[in-house]
Amino acid sequence: MNDPRPTEWKQFIPSDALPWDLRRIHHLHRRAGFAANWNGLQRDLQAGPEVAVDRVLRGGNATDDFDSLQRLIGDAAVSSGDINRLKAWWFYRILYSGDPLIERMTLMWHNHFATSNLKVANVAMMKRQNDLLRRHAMGKFGDLLRAVIKDAAMMVWLDANANRKGKPNENLARELMELFTLGVGHYSETDVKEVARALTGWTVRGGDFEHVPAYHDDGTKQMLGEQGDFDGDDVLAILLKQEPPARRIAMRLCEVFFGEDVITDDALDELASGLRDHDLDIGWAVETILRSEAFFSEDNIGNRVLEPIQFMIGPLWALEMLDPPPSTLLLAEWASKLGQDLFYPPNVFGWPGGRSWLTTRTMIGRANYVSALCRGELHRPNRPPDIAVLAKKHGFSTPADQSTFASWLLLGHENATGDMKAILRRPASQLG
Amino acid sequence: MKTNRRRFLGHGSAVVLGAMPSLVSRAVMADEGTRSNRNGKILVVIQMSGGNDGINTIIPYADEGYAMHRKKLRLPTDRLLKINDSVGFHPSMRSAADLLEQGKLGIVQCVGYPNPSRSHDTSMAIWHSAQVGDEDVLRSHGWLGMAMDAARKKTDDPDMILVGDESQPLAIQSRRSTAVTLSSLTDLRLRQPAHAQPKPTSDQASESSLAQFVDQTMQDAIATASALERNTEGGADGSAKYPTTRIGRRMQTISTMVKSGFQTPIYYAIQSGYDTHAAQLPSHSRLLREFSDATKAFLDDIEASGLSDQVCVMGFSEFGRRVAENNSEGTDHGTAGPVFLAGNRVRSGLIGTTPKLTDLVDGDLQMSTDFRNMYQEVTQAWLGISELQAAESPSSLKLFDA
Repeated sequence: MNDPRPTEWKQFIPSDALPWDLRRIHHLHRRAGFAANWNGLQRDLQAGPEVAVDRVLRGGNATDDFDSLQRLIGDAAVSSGDINRLKAWWFYRILYSGDPLIERMTLMWHNHFATSNLKVANVAMMKRQNDLLRRHAMGKFGDLLRAVIKDAAMMVWLDANANRKGKPNENLARELMELFTLGVGHYSETDVKEVARALTGWTVRGGDFEHVPAYHDDGTKQMLGEQGDFDGDDVLAILLKQEPPARRIAMRLCEVFFGEDVITDDALDELASGLRDHDLDIGWAVETILRSEAFFSEDNIGNRVLEPIQFMIGPLWALEMLDPPPSTLLLAEWASKLGQDLFYPPNVFGWPGGRSWLTTRTMIGRANYVSALCRGELHRPNRPPDIAVLAKKHGFSTPADQSTFASWLLLGHENATGDMKAILRRPASQLG
Repeated sequence: MKTNRRRFLGHGSAVVLGAMPSLVSRAVMADEGTRSNRNGKILVVIQMSGGNDGINTIIPYADEGYAMHRKKLRLPTDRLLKINDSVGFHPSMRSAADLLEQGKLGIVQCVGYPNPSRSHDTSMAIWHSAQVGDEDVLRSHGWLGMAMDAARKKTDDPDMILVGDESQPLAIQSRRSTAVTLSSLTDLRLRQPAHAQPKPTSDQASESSLAQFVDQTMQDAIATASALERNTEGGADGSAKYPTTRIGRRMQTISTMVKSGFQTPIYYAIQSGYDTHAAQLPSHSRLLREFSDATKAFLDDIEASGLSDQVCVMGFSEFGRRVAENNSEGTDHGTAGPVFLAGNRVRSGLIGTTPKLTDLVDGDLQMSTDFRNMYQEVTQAWLGISELQAAESPSSLKLFDA
C-alpha cells in the first residue's frame, strides 16, 4: 500500500516484544479466517508477516473442481427449496473455497444486512443475496449498499414491495438509515417518511427487482437538509456522502477483527476517516487492519469470543479432518444449536455477538459439539480424529510431544496440558 | 473505549454482561431432598415481538373511529368475542375469552409511556429496562433483572430462564442475578457427564475478565445441566394438551420445569412476528390464536398440577400500531397497546381506560396506563419485592386479587 498509514494503524514489524511466532500466525488465521493446519503455520513462519498476510488477503487456494462443485451444490439446494441444504452449501464454501477471509466477511455482511428466511421464505432469493454479499464483501461499500437495497430478499424482508406512491411503507427507509448507514440520532422521523416516499417505485416482481414508475412518488422530498424530487438512487447517494457510515463500517470491522477493549476511539476515527478518503473501500480497511501492529498486539490475541462457526470449524481445519469432507448438513445443524443459525439472524439487528454468544444452552451445545467431533460423528461414517497419527506425521512422536503439538495447533501456544479433548474443553478454546 | 455493540448501533438492546454469580456453590450445597419450597410466586412473561396491533386485538368496536381508520383491516362486529357493549376480543382469541369467563384474565388497556419511540429496538429497550428516554440512556439492566437483584430470597435454581433460541433480552439482564437460556429440555443434557467437564479456572492464565466470564458461564452451564437432569426425571409426562406451535412448545417446557419443582421465579418466552406492515389479517389472526391457546393450555396444565395460585402469565409488546391502516393492508409502528395478565390470582376483566380512536396525537393512541406503574404492581403485589422503584409516580393500579 502506498498511502501514508494513519498513526494509530502503523504497520506491524516483528520485534523482540512482538515476535513473528506460531502464536501470532495462529492468531492471524483464527481471527481473519477460521484456523490453520500445521503445514500452514510452518509455511507462514518461514514466509514472514508480509507474505502471510498477502496470502490471507488474496485467498485463491481452492482445489480445481471447487467452483463447479459449489455451483452444483448451490443449484441443487435452490431447486430443492430446502434451506438446510443452502446452509450446508455455505459450510461447503467455508471449508473449501480457499478464501476464508471472504467467507468471514460475507458472514459479517449477513449480520449487518441481517435478512431472515423466516420471512423471505425463498431459498433462491437467500442464495442470491448471499452471492451478492460475497461479491461485494471486500469492495466499495457504496456498491454493496446499492446492490443490497435492490436485492429481492432484502426488499421482501423490509416490505419494499408494499411501499407505493401515496401509501408509503417505512420499514426499508427506517432500517436503511438506522441500521445500514447512519445510526439512530443522525436522522429524524421526517427523514424516514421522506425517504420512504423516495424509495417508492422499487419493488419485487417475479422474484426480481423491478422499477415501476407508476408506483413512484416523484414529488419533492426533503431529507437530511436537502431538497429535490429524489428517487431511491438519490437517497443512497445522499446517505453515502454523510459522515456516519464510515464510522459504522469501521466499527463493524473492529468487531470482527479485534477483541474487547483493544481499539481506541482515536483509532476508530482514523479508520473511519481513512475509509472516507478511500471511497469507503472495505478491502482497504481490511488490509490496513490485518497489517497493523494493533492487530498483532498482545492485547488482541485470544481476547475475543469465537463465533460459533469459528469455534466449530477451527478444530476441523487444524486436525486435518476435511478429506473426506464432514457432513455439512450436520455442521449447519450444530451451528444452529450453538446460536448461529445461518440465514436466520434473530432480527433486523443481527446477532449481538461477543459475550452474548455464550449462554447456558450454547455452552452445553459447545461441549456436546466437542464430544461429537472427538467421536468422529461429524463424518458419515464416523471418523474420529487421531491426534497421535497427526502428531507423528508432523514429527512429534512421544506422548508429551503430542500434547504440546495439540496445544500449539488448537490454542496457538504450548502451555496447555492434556489430550486433544481436554484442550478443546478448556475455556481458552472459546476464545481466539 | 470498547468496540461494543451498544455504541456501534447507538441503541440500548445490547448490554454489558457482567460475570454471573456461580450456580455451582448453590447447586452443590443444595439438599437434593428439600425441593418442596413451592410457595414462591412465578411470573411467565410472553414477549409479543414486533409491535402488536392492540386495536385489532381488544377491539373498541363501538368507537366510530374504528371503522373510520380501519377500512380493510376492520374486523366485522358480529365475529368479535364481546367483552362488553363496546369492546371485544379478536375472533381468534377464543381461549383468552374462556380465561376471562373463568375470571383468570386481566386486560390492561392502552399501556405505554410518554414520548413513545417507534423504533422496535429503542421501544423494546425502554420496556425491558423501564428506563424511559432516548437512545443515549444507558440501559444495562432489565426490570426483571433488577427485581431479582432486589429479591431477598434466593433459590437453588436460576432466577430467570429464557425458553427459546433468541439472545437473552435486556429485561432479564442484571447485576448479580442468574439468567439462563434454553430452547428445549434436551438442549440441557450434557453428552459427557458433568464430572468429565472442565473444572473451574482450569486455565492458569485465566486472569482477564473475559476469560473469567467464559469460565463462569461454563461452570453455570454445567451446574444447570446437572440440576435439570435431576429435576426432569419422570417430570414430563406429556399428559397435558398443548398446541404444537413454537410458543405452545415453549410454554410446555416452562410448565415441565415448574411442575418438576424448579424454583425459578421468572420465565421468559418470545413470540415473534407482530411487525405486520403488510397483509396483516391472516398473520395477526394466527399469532393471537397461538398466543391465546398456548396461555390457556399452560394455565390448565398448571391448574391440574395444583400450582395455579403460584403462577401468573404476562403478555406485552413493545408498542401498538398506528391507528390508521397503511395501504399495504398492514399497519405501521404506533404507541400504546394492551397488556395481558393471566392466572388464578389476577384481577380479571378490563383494566384502565379503553382507547379512544377519535382522540389521537399525530395519528397515534394516547396511553392511559404507564407500564412502569404496571411493573411496580407486578413486582410488589405479585413477586413480593418492595425495594424496587420502577414507577414514576405512585398509582392506584390494582392488578391482583388480595
